[in-house]
Amino acid sequence: MSLLEIRGLTKSFGGLTAIDGLDLDVAEGEIVSVIGPNGAGKTTLFNLITGVYPADGGAITFDGVELVGRDPDAITRFGISRTFQNVRLFPDMTVLENVMVGRHCRTKSGVIGAVLGLPSARREQAEVREQAKEILSFFGTRLSGYRHNQPAFVLSYANRRRLEIARAMATGARLLLLDEPVAGMNPRETAEMVELVGRLRDEKGFTLLVIEHDMRVVKGVSDRVVALDYGRKIAEGTYSEVAGNDRVIEAYLGKKATA
Amino acid sequence: MATSSATTESAEPPASPPPGDAGGPQLGLADRIPLRRIIRWGLAVALVLGIASGAYQTLAAGVFSPAQWRDLVVFGIAQGSIYALIALGYTLVYGILFMINFAHGEVFMAGGFTAFFAARAMDQAGFLNQQPVLAVLILLAIAMAVSTTVAVTLERVAYRPLRNAPRLIPLITAIGASLFLQYSFRGLYGEDIHSYPRIDALTGTWTIAGIPILRTQAIVIVAALALMVGLYFFISRTTMGRSMRAVAEDREIASLMGIDVNRVIVTTFAIGGMLAGAAGILYALVFRQVHFLMGFLPGIKAFTAAVIGGIGSIIGAAVGGLLLGLLEAVAPFLLLSGAGIPAPNQLKDVIAFSILVIVLIMRPGGLFGSREPEKL
Amino acid sequence: MVPATTRAVNRGLIIGGCVVYFLAVGMFERFTARPVITDLLTLGWTVLAGLWAVAGVWAARTVLPPASSAPDGDEAGGRTARAVTHAALAGLLAGAVPALFLLLADAINLRPMLINAGATMVNALAVDDSAVAGALRLVLAALVIATVAGIVASAPAQVRRVAGWALGMVVLLALVEPLLRVIIASLGLRTSWLYQRGGLGVSGAVIALVLGVAVGVLRRRDTPTTARDDGDDGPRARLARGGRIAGLVAGAVLLLVLPRLVGPFLSEVVGTIGLFAIMGIGLNIVVGSAGLLHLGYVAFFAIGAYVTALLTSPAAALGTELSFWAALPIVVLVTAIAGLFVGAPVLRLRGDYLAIVTLAFGEIARILALSDWLRPALGGAQGILAVPAPTIGAMRFRDPQMLYYVIIVACAITAFIAWRLEDSRVGRAWTAMREDEQVAQIMGISISRYKLLAFALGAGIASVSGALFAVKIGSVFPHSFDILVSITALSVVILGGIGSLRGVFLGALVLVGLPDLLREFGEYRMLLYGGLLVAIMILRPQGLLPNVRRMAELGEEERLQDQWLKRAGDAGDPEPAIATTKTDGAS
Repeated sequence: MSLLEIRGLTKSFGGLTAIDGLDLDVAEGEIVSVIGPNGAGKTTLFNLITGVYPADGGAITFDGVELVGRDPDAITRFGISRTFQNVRLFPDMTVLENVMVGRHCRTKSGVIGAVLGLPSARREQAEVREQAKEILSFFGTRLSGYRHNQPAFVLSYANRRRLEIARAMATGARLLLLDEPVAGMNPRETAEMVELVGRLRDEKGFTLLVIEHDMRVVKGVSDRVVALDYGRKIAEGTYSEVAGNDRVIEAYLGKKATA
Repeated sequence: MATSSATTESAEPPASPPPGDAGGPQLGLADRIPLRRIIRWGLAVALVLGIASGAYQTLAAGVFSPAQWRDLVVFGIAQGSIYALIALGYTLVYGILFMINFAHGEVFMAGGFTAFFAARAMDQAGFLNQQPVLAVLILLAIAMAVSTTVAVTLERVAYRPLRNAPRLIPLITAIGASLFLQYSFRGLYGEDIHSYPRIDALTGTWTIAGIPILRTQAIVIVAALALMVGLYFFISRTTMGRSMRAVAEDREIASLMGIDVNRVIVTTFAIGGMLAGAAGILYALVFRQVHFLMGFLPGIKAFTAAVIGGIGSIIGAAVGGLLLGLLEAVAPFLLLSGAGIPAPNQLKDVIAFSILVIVLIMRPGGLFGSREPEKL
Repeated sequence: MVPATTRAVNRGLIIGGCVVYFLAVGMFERFTARPVITDLLTLGWTVLAGLWAVAGVWAARTVLPPASSAPDGDEAGGRTARAVTHAALAGLLAGAVPALFLLLADAINLRPMLINAGATMVNALAVDDSAVAGALRLVLAALVIATVAGIVASAPAQVRRVAGWALGMVVLLALVEPLLRVIIASLGLRTSWLYQRGGLGVSGAVIALVLGVAVGVLRRRDTPTTARDDGDDGPRARLARGGRIAGLVAGAVLLLVLPRLVGPFLSEVVGTIGLFAIMGIGLNIVVGSAGLLHLGYVAFFAIGAYVTALLTSPAAALGTELSFWAALPIVVLVTAIAGLFVGAPVLRLRGDYLAIVTLAFGEIARILALSDWLRPALGGAQGILAVPAPTIGAMRFRDPQMLYYVIIVACAITAFIAWRLEDSRVGRAWTAMREDEQVAQIMGISISRYKLLAFALGAGIASVSGALFAVKIGSVFPHSFDILVSITALSVVILGGIGSLRGVFLGALVLVGLPDLLREFGEYRMLLYGGLLVAIMILRPQGLLPNVRRMAELGEEERLQDQWLKRAGDAGDPEPAIATTKTDGAS
């Protein structure tokens, strides 16, 4: 059984159908890339999975649980987390705090624990801090040491993308949705990110669904590629199958283009 | 803070690595049925029941005669058209700057209060009753001039430096400005409640279509309508109106297209001020009282009206104003008096504010507002 | 660009307008009743002189470079000359405008409209001379003061600082006279060397000047204290910590003996400050931590007071007559639930709507308390009388010097709660929510739950303040609970710095304490609050004692600048479009 199962998913804004009867499966431990021209509905798909938009129709099942109609925070608690195309950190919280916020849904202590300094709350706080550091160490020296206490807004662009991934990891998700993880990065950073995505699966056991425009990245990371156009799936398969597909080429380059 | 975190850090070895611990998500009832939906339905049911039973009891008891209801409705429309004029100021500014000009009620007060002194002088000179039409026009001009000046100064001094600040900041500024204006006018004109002189030509009633209507109320309704129609044509037909719509759509693009954004914003405040000044005189005609705090309640009510209509929408502000005025005049008697609540008119403000809360819960975009999807 | 001279003229006229406003609004007349230096200078004239000095400095700035560490040479000399000329010009105008107003007020009776522009004002302004002579004197005074101010403004930074401190110290010492005199007297010392008949004596003025000069000379330019203490145990850190502990102990001892020191009247003032500090702490959780602008905060204060009265007063309809301590938990619980009821319907609203809706809730509460409908329970306009004082054994906490201790303890507890929450899971959830609500929710934070929590907690804290208020005055009336209470609490939070706990205390001290000390200000309290809110938001949105983190958030401009600097030094990584994260969050 697939970890994520999408059936007949539909969403329209006004007259515009952004996602049109989409079926999609992601198996546990798989890295699936979603490609498609601008406006194909990729980010909308992410927003539907994470509950930002309510779906108009169809079903999204995650590990046997129906997600449509649930709030985003509940969906995160089930084990799905994401990053954003335009990087949305909590800019004035420190690097460490950003990751600690990610742990929120896996921790319990409340007002009373914090105010009275109950042992359980103190232990939890210490644990969360250690876990956050542990997660940040996954990125090598990039986000470690003195960076822990820097506010997120001073980070470089590439580091913000990394921190966003760290925050998503911290939610204890099984499925990570990465929205254009290398946008705005230079070639060296891009190569690093490709490696990182692989390690996320191999070392940390995440299942990944990745939106990406950079075809070298798609080629480098994906087990399987899904191409969208006008909210419909136009091709699916390995990178070479999809990249050679006529409809995909047509969607990107327009009609009558020769490959 | 720093010390406490330092002690906890070294307390425990790192715990188990985080991923994959999503094992059994524990979801309460709250996750399955969103809280807001429960609230919304509960409220809707309570509302319908409350309105139905209150109205039924009142009507069954027959406390008020049809003529009384009719008078209440006419009064409500007159009051509502004043709200509508003020509401337009909120809506225009919101449409362009996306801020609530909290001090707009004070802009309204400034005009009505200042014109009072002219009215009293004209009354003492006998001019007010010799040339009532001219006198009212002069009063309107004075009130509109004063309110416009206050509105434009407000924009220049308090709001312009904050045009790109985070949202909370201009809002707090506006609250401060509102307070500052209220108490400045108290310092300038004193804290007494002044009674507007009576204009003999405007006392009594006219019979229009078989319905006797107080003359002041008729004038208020007609004048407000004329101003609103004028505004509508200004916005839809003139170059400046077009510029205003462009700036409302996208300020940056508009300025790239060669529109002087500052001028448009100042004009917007000026128009809002003019309408508020006119509303100040109309208010004085109906209620015949001015006071330095007179802007506070009408200000919030007009904001309510703007929200009911859908803030940012001009027609919405007009309709919302009328609706609110009407509800406020009729509802206390219709809903509460039958339920045996004494002095229901004391609670008319509670009803107005409840309407605001209810509209925001049920339909936050208002009647004519667009429901923009949240961007991500 | 408008020529510098035109701008100087404009600035002179603007200040002239401000002076006329100051006169017409009646502040001048009120303020002349209060001496700064007895028999020499009143507060009214001090403010006038201050405005003229501002005109001079402001006009001089049209020519002076922005950060003026003026370079030597002929150019600087010429520039100084122009600066002083501009200052004089502006001063002339800033004096001429009110002079004309004086002549006008003397010629025509403006009083039917401007109630403060009567003969009293004319006499006060002309110092009992003829109006023409008074007007001339005004122009002359303005000219001289503005010119001197212009000269000082062109001087090196050191001189400017010393002059500022010296004059500021005189005004400050004069303003705190009611407090300082009582304290000095209660220590058994004479006060005549400093104060005479409500103002500084001549010797006192000299002392103040010397003190100010000393502070100005000694104080180094902005010592940045942003360094974060990461727990390193260097000797300096240990020393600093030792100093902090000593300071805390001294502060605690001072707090303990304060009521004896300042006497009953000032103890009452301190009590009121404490009540507003508690409210500020609660509101700071709602506004500062969770980012929800709440304008109906008075409703919770009122519910706290009313429930206390209902439960404890023998005159109340409920007739339970509980003791204060037994009632307090019920009061907090009931108010927190009320907080949930207010919070629940507005969960989905954006910040500005929220402000208005909460304001509406505050008004609803007041109108209901006043209404005939609820009169049987709440007593209508008469309120509920005979709220008993809290007692412990034989101690009755009724008079201000005793109740003070209860209030201080309540302050400490609420401050402790707020402080503990700041760096906790809950506090982080609030911060995340404030910074980007949508992302916070996608990261697994239940927005509804945490908003409601903030509302409930804020309400609970306000109710403690309300309960203490009820026992402090021994009764509750609806008129004590108008919107101005909400506004005052908000001002307290904002003056100190949104989200800053220390700031709340400073805010309460300045905004609640000062007006109570300066009766002259009483009438203009709200006016000054309003002006202050506007001024702070424009000039220093992070408040006087900012929360370090919050400061960055509000000072968007500075932040972007910092980022540019950062980028220049950190050339390895490309950093495009920094602002997008923030602007997108707002949409």
